[in-house]
Amino acid sequence: MSLREVSMLPWVEKYRPRSLDEIVNQEEVVSSLKNILQTKAVPHMLFAGPPGVGKTATAHAFARDLFGPNYIENGYFLEINASDERGIQTIREKVKMFARQIPMGEYSFKILFLDESDQLTDDAQHAFRRVMEQFSVTCRFILAANYSNRIIEPIQSRCAVFRFKPLSKIHIIQYLKRIADNEGLEVDDQAYEVIYDFSEGDMRKAINILQACASISKRIEEKTVYEVMGYVSRGEVRRILELALSGKFTDARDEVRRLLYVQGIMPSDLVSAIYRELFYIDLDEDDKLELLDLLGEVDYRVSEGATPEVQLMAFLARLAAKRKRA
Amino acid sequence: MTELWVEKYRPKRVAEVVGNRESVETFVKWMKQWELGRPPEKRAVLLYGPAGVGKTSLVLAYGREHGYDVVEVNASDWRDEARVKAVVGESSLQATLEGSTKKIILVDEVDGIAGKEDAGGIAALSRIINETRVPLVLVANNPWDPKLAPIREKCLMLEFRRLKKTEVVKRLREIAEMEGIKVSDAVLEKLAERSEGDLRSAINDFQAIAGGRKVVDERALEALGSRNRVREIFDALRMVFNAKSVRAARAALEGLEVDLDMVYTWILDNAPEQIPDPADLAEAFEALARADLILARVNRKQEWRLMRYAIPVMTGGVALARKHKPSGFVKFTFPPRIRFLQATSAERELRRSIAQKIATRLHLSTAKALSQMLPYISFIMVNDGGMGEALARYFEFTPSEISYLKGGKAEEAKEAGARRRAVRRKKS
Repeated sequence: MSLREVSMLPWVEKYRPRSLDEIVNQEEVVSSLKNILQTKAVPHMLFAGPPGVGKTATAHAFARDLFGPNYIENGYFLEINASDERGIQTIREKVKMFARQIPMGEYSFKILFLDESDQLTDDAQHAFRRVMEQFSVTCRFILAANYSNRIIEPIQSRCAVFRFKPLSKIHIIQYLKRIADNEGLEVDDQAYEVIYDFSEGDMRKAINILQACASISKRIEEKTVYEVMGYVSRGEVRRILELALSGKFTDARDEVRRLLYVQGIMPSDLVSAIYRELFYIDLDEDDKLELLDLLGEVDYRVSEGATPEVQLMAFLARLAAKRKRA
Repeated sequence: MTELWVEKYRPKRVAEVVGNRESVETFVKWMKQWELGRPPEKRAVLLYGPAGVGKTSLVLAYGREHGYDVVEVNASDWRDEARVKAVVGESSLQATLEGSTKKIILVDEVDGIAGKEDAGGIAALSRIINETRVPLVLVANNPWDPKLAPIREKCLMLEFRRLKKTEVVKRLREIAEMEGIKVSDAVLEKLAERSEGDLRSAINDFQAIAGGRKVVDERALEALGSRNRVREIFDALRMVFNAKSVRAARAALEGLEVDLDMVYTWILDNAPEQIPDPADLAEAFEALARADLILARVNRKQEWRLMRYAIPVMTGGVALARKHKPSGFVKFTFPPRIRFLQATSAERELRRSIAQKIATRLHLSTAKALSQMLPYISFIMVNDGGMGEALARYFEFTPSEISYLKGGKAEEAKEAGARRRAVRRKKS
């Protein structure tokens, strides 16, 4: 890719850390990985931590530092996203194709990076464990997951588990400032604060917000950020709750379907957004408490594999049966 | 695929329209007044009644016989006033010029607009009725929706009833003769009975069991057992929602040749209309949610023994929760969920294709690309031409993907689609 093109990349890509030294706020993880680099004895690894803290970036940076800048082109590294690969069969095929051939160069093994590995069902994980064993001589696995407890024990016990810390406000704002300097932006302190609030500690989201702001103006104020976020989220969740509460259950239902199936919002994000709104809607405190309890149940059921749409409808139907605060 | 008989044998002249003579004649008289240049006092007519009894066929046949251009508009496409005006308004205000083609505007599924939250469409239609200079024909299955009230009083109301069994048999016999098919009266009578006065479905069933053969006997009817699933589902739903015990509710699904997911969806989407009391509805949905959870455990953990709990929980739960019934009979409807997924499939496909391009380049799953990247990229493309173009090149978006992203909101993309369709209709 030419330099000119690089300058026009989406910023999440343009400012992705290229080497372990550029990884922010994960000192323990980085120093362990550097040790591994020196000894060149690479174990299977599990990267656990919230979204947007650098798990994928670290996997790539590690591979680059280990195999050199052409780590992908030279066939040392393959990335598979478990959430896109339905069923273990595809994964098995892909892994086989990749791991069957011993690499030609200096290294006797390759790295397969399985992102969002907690999206695999228990069955698929058990099958994947066997794949890991089968190919462990020629292929090391790095798994990334938001929650390590959703990874079955036998896999965890075969992996060195690295916990990624949530990014603190300071780290996110520092990173944004670097980008702003480089891009020639003028950003208010207050705007940084607001971007951080919206980002919820997710660096990817923070950078996206910044780039979207920059598409309107080189000078970014608090209201620039609100303009972006108004477009991106549009207050749909609040409206859904209002619709249910004013007895328009089927309209609320249709809106949930639009969010889930057309917008493609992730069910867990929708649950979180409802959680945040719930404190502010027009309901008696007792009712709020009951609904929070129910939402916790919805959250848990969805994580168990229940259908998010249906579980959310049960929640909205309960909300619709409540009276607005007198 | 051979031509559909329902199209091939659609009446070409008014005299060929089966049944409902009284309404047919009233319609013809009403049209005569337009013909004579003395528009009737009620400038719109509302043909209402169940599906497949000849409402649309009558209008098409009349147009064909008397040289009218029938401009068809499907009401479920629009939601608001602007669109109603765009589609109907313009052509209704242009009086037919001497020598040019005469026009009838046919608005199908009027009850479809009534259901929507914004009644702007109905208000606009109501104004157009006042002003129209060409005959305006509205068609609806259920004209008694309160939201249709302002239109009802301005329309000549013509009811179309289910056809008599003898009428259906007679028409099927005519078709059999024209197709050169040997078939007994007994078979045609069975078809007519099944159709419950819906000639269209009877003709469809007949074509299906004939399957290109020239002799059709009673054995061919057996094939229909599983084909006509909608009817079976209706019966099952009636039993589920009216069951007095969990056992009876569970029994409602016995022998039903429809897969469980499908039945579940029908129950799920009919519950809000069948269960008017919000507290009852909340109970019903809790049962449905618990049944869903059971099914999830079956699927995820392969716990097949849990399967037996799913059906009684979902059917019994709904039946027992329904302590209050709607005041009148509320008919069961085809699930909005399925309709929604069909209606949005093109848009979802487009978004998916965009998301996949983003995902492969940014090391993300398609799901994350869709929810976490697409909105920002869309925002940038709307606002900054230069940065937007660079991103479009980087992700290799196609022109239609670019225009979707630039259009920003899904609604706008949909409106554009509706406008294009309307223009095409006008041209044809």
